[in-house]
Amino acid sequence: VHEVLVTLGFALVTASILALSAVAFTLEYAVTNVANVSHGEILTAGAYAAYLVHQRTGSAVAAAIAAALAGGLVALAMHSAVIGPFIRFGASPTVVFIATLGMSFVIQNVLVIFFGAANVAYTLDPGAPQQIGPFLLTPLDVEIIASAIGITLALFLIISRTKFGKALRAVSQNRELARVTGINATRVAAATFFLAGLVAGYAGFVLAESVGSFNPYFGFGFFLITLTAAVAGGLGRAFGTLVGAVMVGLILEFAQTVRLPGGGYVSASYNLAFAFAILAIVILIRPRGLFTNARRTVFE
Amino acid sequence: MSAYLVSVLSEGAIFGIMALGLNVIWGWSGDFDLAYYGYIAVGAYMTLVLTIGPAVAPAHYILGLTLPYPIAVVVAVITAMAVGLVVGSIALRHLRGIYFSIVTLGAVYVMYVLAGQYVPLFDGYNGLSGLFDPMGDWFGFDYLSYQYFFLGLSLVLFALVFLFMWRISGSRFGMALRTLREDERAAAAFGRDIYRLKLKGYVLGAGLGGFAGALFAAYLSAFNPSAWSPVEVIVLYSAVLVGGRGNIWGVALGVLIMGVLVQESTRFLPQLPGLGQLSTLHPQVLLAMRGVIIGLVLVLFLRFRPQGLLPERRYVDPQPSLYIAPQTA
Repeated sequence: VHEVLVTLGFALVTASILALSAVAFTLEYAVTNVANVSHGEILTAGAYAAYLVHQRTGSAVAAAIAAALAGGLVALAMHSAVIGPFIRFGASPTVVFIATLGMSFVIQNVLVIFFGAANVAYTLDPGAPQQIGPFLLTPLDVEIIASAIGITLALFLIISRTKFGKALRAVSQNRELARVTGINATRVAAATFFLAGLVAGYAGFVLAESVGSFNPYFGFGFFLITLTAAVAGGLGRAFGTLVGAVMVGLILEFAQTVRLPGGGYVSASYNLAFAFAILAIVILIRPRGLFTNARRTVFE
Repeated sequence: MSAYLVSVLSEGAIFGIMALGLNVIWGWSGDFDLAYYGYIAVGAYMTLVLTIGPAVAPAHYILGLTLPYPIAVVVAVITAMAVGLVVGSIALRHLRGIYFSIVTLGAVYVMYVLAGQYVPLFDGYNGLSGLFDPMGDWFGFDYLSYQYFFLGLSLVLFALVFLFMWRISGSRFGMALRTLREDERAAAAFGRDIYRLKLKGYVLGAGLGGFAGALFAAYLSAFNPSAWSPVEVIVLYSAVLVGGRGNIWGVALGVLIMGVLVQESTRFLPQLPGLGQLSTLHPQVLLAMRGVIIGLVLVLFLRFRPQGLLPERRYVDPQPSLYIAPQTA
């Protein structure tokens, strides 16, 4: 029983980071109807910004703020330079999907030019593990989980209670109708990207902390897991995505504790392949997400 | 003709076969398939395990036969088609658009992880090597004349594949595939079996990928996960896009521009004034600059000329009697 609780603790940390990344991704999807493949690069930008600021100032708080700001600016730039123009031009979601794939490739390579492709080691002192409730968690783990809950609550309040949130939901449900009623859909989408970028940039910072190192391709790998969580929860549905993130986080951590028939455990390097197997099954059975009643159609 | 040019042209011809296979899936059938490079890899790996003989410790891989190269190629193509059939029959049944792309991305990732991490299959990250000058000893070529022989072989095979694609392009099957791309509902209304047609096109594309992979294995004489890098994949997609999706002449032009000219000219970037010092910083700079250029070309073409340099010629009804509003989904 104890081992299960330890794993559950790890899973909570993974799920928290995943939830931040996936909610940001799903917000980007909600206002544009486009899967932003370069979402992972927002996390990478956050990690690099945090590392650079941390080296200069030595303050983890400053690093976190820098990560969020860098993420927000990168996401805003993605929207104004590529995604927004493509949508105004009337490109199909698949075309924008391919364009964001190209953009992700460009950003990764720009990062390689400036910082090199090698892994950058980046760790905070996690502190001694403590018994918190039934779990064994380090103070760093607690901070990650608490900040994820706080950020999610803040997002919930922004989306459900503010005028901006109302505009966001309107654009998400019907862009044309929102525009007819006088909402500047492009500006709302840009602001949403900035907001999502703040969250994703911060997620990049905590992910780098919890992994201990990063490189220019680090965000892309995590994007693939993010995609699984977001699709499982239903693309564009912020709160279904949260549940999807917790579920995928749990499955990934527990998959590593399953003892194989020949002895030994499933290697963590199969993690992404495993996530994708879940993703394929979810898409095939319930392409609109696990928590919706909408019927699937052939003509998605 | 310098040895460098012979090597570049051989690679270009193989690359052309890869692009023609991708064109069947992405150009004609209209599905943005991210698993395509997986079929190239399956073709290359299978050719190697069928020709290079049993594994010597500490290497591990399956089969380890010493079949003649042409037989190995046939088996490799069949294997690639079988893998394509499995992926296609899952991904094509209900999924279109980005959902199809996401599932194929997952499929290629699973293949990549299996090839790179599961050592007993293809020796993991070390990959396979040792296919030297296949069929060379049949004719008693020395090293240099073999290079010319291989260039000739690649060009002839490219020409044959091109001719085959040219026939398919105008055939009922080719037309039907394009109909699915334009309007599945209309095709279904005219009695087309959408799923079977798409799957046929997909398996054909996968087979061409496997064939190109089998040649690629002979060209490289080895294959490992690092031959499977994102830059190779993006170059392939950008070649098809830049030339003109759906038009095989366009695809050939795209291969010439992206696969040969851009790929090779970026080698000379460090000789430009000012850029030379950059590459002394660290060795990946050059490859990264090539990646930036190719990525930018992909995005700019999608935005400003999505039909490519040589667009597919479209049938225009000379006497349109009834205007049907285009479907917007």
